[in-house]
Amino acid sequence: MLRASTEVSGADFDLGAVTGAATGDGGIAGGVLLHGFAEAVTLRDAARTAELRDALVDRLGEAAMIDAAATAAAFHGFVRVVDATGAPVAGAAGGQVTAEFRQALGIDAFYGARNP
Amino acid sequence: MSGIEYDTPYHVRESLVAAQRLAWRRIAEPGAWLDGERRVAVAGEVRAAGDCALCRERKQALSPFAVAGEHAASGPLGAAEVELIHRLTSDPGRLRRSWAEGILAAGVSEEVYVEIVGIVCMVMIVDTFRRALGLPQFDLPAPVAGTQSGYRAPGARRHDAWISLVQPDDVVESDGDLYGAAASPVVKALSLVPEAKRAYWDLAEEHYLPGSEMTDFATGARAIDRMQMELVAGRVSALHQCVY
Repeated sequence: MLRASTEVSGADFDLGAVTGAATGDGGIAGGVLLHGFAEAVTLRDAARTAELRDALVDRLGEAAMIDAAATAAAFHGFVRVVDATGAPVAGAAGGQVTAEFRQALGIDAFYGARNP
Repeated sequence: MSGIEYDTPYHVRESLVAAQRLAWRRIAEPGAWLDGERRVAVAGEVRAAGDCALCRERKQALSPFAVAGEHAASGPLGAAEVELIHRLTSDPGRLRRSWAEGILAAGVSEEVYVEIVGIVCMVMIVDTFRRALGLPQFDLPAPVAGTQSGYRAPGARRHDAWISLVQPDDVVESDGDLYGAAASPVVKALSLVPEAKRAYWDLAEEHYLPGSEMTDFATGARAIDRMQMELVAGRVSALHQCVY
């Protein structure tokens, strides 16, 4: 989905923004803040979440912060749906997940990729 | 905090609040296979997993399968059901097919498995959203009395997932509205129990995107653009080690 959206927008996006390897916004407005917010929420770091929440409101606006929070929340559900049911990766993102893409994101090193 | 109300300095769009209210009501009501009491108990175990010593120890272990013990749980659910809830809550990226088969072999039916997964994921969404806003968790709803429907989608079969699901060509009228234009693996994952699938997706789509917008990569449905959304989504998924 991320790759497809960057292709549509024509943005020069650095996949390292997802893995944590990128510096800067990775070609996405507020990318550093959004990345950090998603991470803080997932890691249950309340202090960092609060700091980044305020920073997101300042940079992108309150409604954007709310939708970033909602997206992060939604994916706490999505990952569990697929992990619990063994949904096959082959059809993910319209079947556009290539070997190169998996490698770039480090997916092949994940536990689930090595222990199906 | 009783009921779904937002007393916060931030404006939470009403459609999100309504979706969370609906989700809480659905968790409290009898489902297809679990009564209201057991459904609310599932939600309670999602939260109990956060204080479970076994879950913590397994999460830190090189392999979660190397650590034996009992989960910190109380309530009407069986051990295999609690294992499903706690593991899915605390360490979803390291589940395996053999683990799921073990849950089923321990007596949890596929239908109950799917219904539990749906509830776990709904609670995770609501609780995570609250945490992201720095707000306390909502109280769980009181169970509603009533009878389960006992409905299993008749066209459900084992394909390439761990659990039976319904392919679009196998949908029958009694399944109700099951698929729109897209039926990717994640969309089909809970289709064995259509009520569970709909309850989960009604909540998830309101937090992410409506199904009709999912393949529109220039969508303006939310206050952040699609690249921003997918960055958040990708980071959350990567931290969960989700291979999907």
